[in-house]
Amino acid sequence: MNKVLLLKFGELFLKGKNRREFMKLLMNNIRKKLSSYQFKLVETQGRLILCDYNLDQEDEIVEKIQHIFGLIGVAVAVEFDTTLENIEDEIKKVDFGSAKTFKVEVKRADKTFEMNSMQLEKHLGGVVLDAYPEMKVDLYHPEVVLNVELRVNQKTYIYSNLLSCAGGLPLGSAGKGLLLLSGGIDSPVAGYLMAKRGLKFEAVHFHSYPYTSVQAKEKVVELANQIAEYCDDFKLHVVSFTEIQEQIHKHCDEEYMITIMRRIMMRIAQRLCKENGLGAIITGESLGQVASQTMQSMTVTNDVVKLPVFRPVLAYDKEEIMSVAKKIGTYETSILPYEDCCTVFLPKNPVIKPTVKRAEYNEQALDIEGLIERAMAEIEVIEIKNF
Amino acid sequence: MIFLDNAGTTKMFEECVEVHKKYSCEDFFNPSALSVESMNMAKLLNETEKFFLKTLDATQGNVIFTGCATESNNLAIKGSLRSGDWEYVFSEGEHPSVYNVAQKLKLDGAKVHFVPLTSAGVVDLGVLKTVLNEKTRLISIMHVSNETGAINDLVEISKLKDKLAPRAVLHVDGVQGFMKIPFSMRKTSIDLYSFSAHKIHGPKGVAGLYVKNKSALKELFQGGGQQYGVRSGTESVSSIMQFRKCVEILNPAVNHERVSKIKVLFNEIVEKVDGVKVLDFKGSPYIESLIFAGVKGETMLHALNQRGVIVGLGSACSAKKAGNRILEAIGVAQEDIISSVRVSFNAYQTDEEIVEAAKIVAEVYKDIKERVS
Repeated sequence: MNKVLLLKFGELFLKGKNRREFMKLLMNNIRKKLSSYQFKLVETQGRLILCDYNLDQEDEIVEKIQHIFGLIGVAVAVEFDTTLENIEDEIKKVDFGSAKTFKVEVKRADKTFEMNSMQLEKHLGGVVLDAYPEMKVDLYHPEVVLNVELRVNQKTYIYSNLLSCAGGLPLGSAGKGLLLLSGGIDSPVAGYLMAKRGLKFEAVHFHSYPYTSVQAKEKVVELANQIAEYCDDFKLHVVSFTEIQEQIHKHCDEEYMITIMRRIMMRIAQRLCKENGLGAIITGESLGQVASQTMQSMTVTNDVVKLPVFRPVLAYDKEEIMSVAKKIGTYETSILPYEDCCTVFLPKNPVIKPTVKRAEYNEQALDIEGLIERAMAEIEVIEIKNF
Repeated sequence: MIFLDNAGTTKMFEECVEVHKKYSCEDFFNPSALSVESMNMAKLLNETEKFFLKTLDATQGNVIFTGCATESNNLAIKGSLRSGDWEYVFSEGEHPSVYNVAQKLKLDGAKVHFVPLTSAGVVDLGVLKTVLNEKTRLISIMHVSNETGAINDLVEISKLKDKLAPRAVLHVDGVQGFMKIPFSMRKTSIDLYSFSAHKIHGPKGVAGLYVKNKSALKELFQGGGQQYGVRSGTESVSSIMQFRKCVEILNPAVNHERVSKIKVLFNEIVEKVDGVKVLDFKGSPYIESLIFAGVKGETMLHALNQRGVIVGLGSACSAKKAGNRILEAIGVAQEDIISSVRVSFNAYQTDEEIVEAAKIVAEVYKDIKERVS
């Protein structure tokens, strides 16, 4: 008998011919995530089995696995050779704690086994009842579900506590994008949600020192480190926006300041994508949340880029975004009071329905190419590492 | 780097390092143990306590050594609380380590008065008179404002206490005054006085509380009964001796004169710049507020930092919060508060570095103002 971790994956099944590639990626991601641990990872039809790990590190390993996209569940299971006698012996060893009711659920991938699933469930229910006369079977609301899986590798796995994982698709399976990371609540959540759909990313942050503090930048690095737990290592490009903001402030209509700012950020983002082989821009915009996040504002900012712009929290309420932020552990950092570059030159009445025409008119007063060139030349790249 | 945030903390005297080594690696004994070596430590502490009493010019009382001035202030206030129908009096200008204790007291249902500040930044004595009475248990008023440098008249406040609130204890947060502003305990009726080492070139992690009547002060926590049972915990002999070393080195009168000169030198340069205003409260020469019209104080702080000059934004403890409670209480206009930074000096800065810093302040302000207008 061995103690192992049984990993269940979700949508991989749906991917037809690409399934092998997804599987390879998922296994690589697991190996990378757990690179500081000793273990063995084997695939058996429909499941991944993680074995030969240090039992003292089990809790840590399980927690890390729960943060890997592409997996939907993880359970600590016992593994042994499939024989009826072995199954009977092992199921009797289950610790019910204070629970009073149970049911047995059998999955028989190994079709050579003598009984079918229904028969085996019934039989094992009887075995448990004989061993624990005080327990009762409850098929609808059992306190404990005893899962018994007979896999094709001639091994059987028994587990009772299936923990949920992050779901989604293996990181990297959807390609690579660029996340606009501010110090706020929304952008880390946007990054997390896209990573969940398999999109790896690099990130860009715009700061306006001395109008913003060093702490504001440190806060963004801290946020980046926090999402790296889910999104793996990535590059954080830190762009100084100081001169650009000053020039916009000097030469553009006050109500168009943020619109122009966003358009220049998008242009820089697109340049970064091109230089780094990234295929999409990700932002934390939520429809109607602020003036720069109306449909018209997004039209005007989209107008300067050809790449797709992913806005995964577009339809989320603030509360919904906050609840994801709390779940992934970025909320506390996001609400620290340091200003990011959006809040220094804040116009009193930003335009809610900007037009491309007026934005372009305003931009005529700026040497946009020169500004972008100078900003690009001064970029600081910070390597974010997931530990 | 030129450091103009000396009200936040100061660079430690190098002499402290030797003292630290001596009382950590050689004479490291626990003053409460029974060996001869330990007993010598206890004697040394006893003698050091007297040294501090003399420094404060106190004729009676004790000095309790704590971990920081926040602890001293908490001990002074919480240790003086009594059940029953008592009233507590604080000024609006107190440091968070007093002000927030007062707010908590109020929240817990005690009767708490906050006395406003005058436009000169000091406690309004006219109002103070009206709130003092037979039921007043504690009055806590700071010596020198950590935000503005304004100095409260402790002699006058003592007289008011004696006359109107004879049953009250008077606590003074003396952190920005100790060894900086001429002071004599015996001329006041102060019962409790907090002071800290790291504001006078000592190490962080040690502070003091003068206690006139230790039997009237309740301890914050129980333990081995050290320091008359008022502050249990093994005394940090090394920190206390470093603190003492600083007091021995410093010459308050000479330093006061030197810093006054520094302040004039600095202000002469910065005040020439259009848009720069010095808020002068005619108080401690060590601290002043500068207003930079049209530029946020925080922007100035960062931009100066980039040029190697470190200034403070309000109180360093409250720099992360918006606004400035003290300047608001004095009635400084909101736009001036947003544009304010705190500059604070020490006596060991040279004319050259002060002139250099003032020139940088002037340059940076002109530059930023041009960029944001």
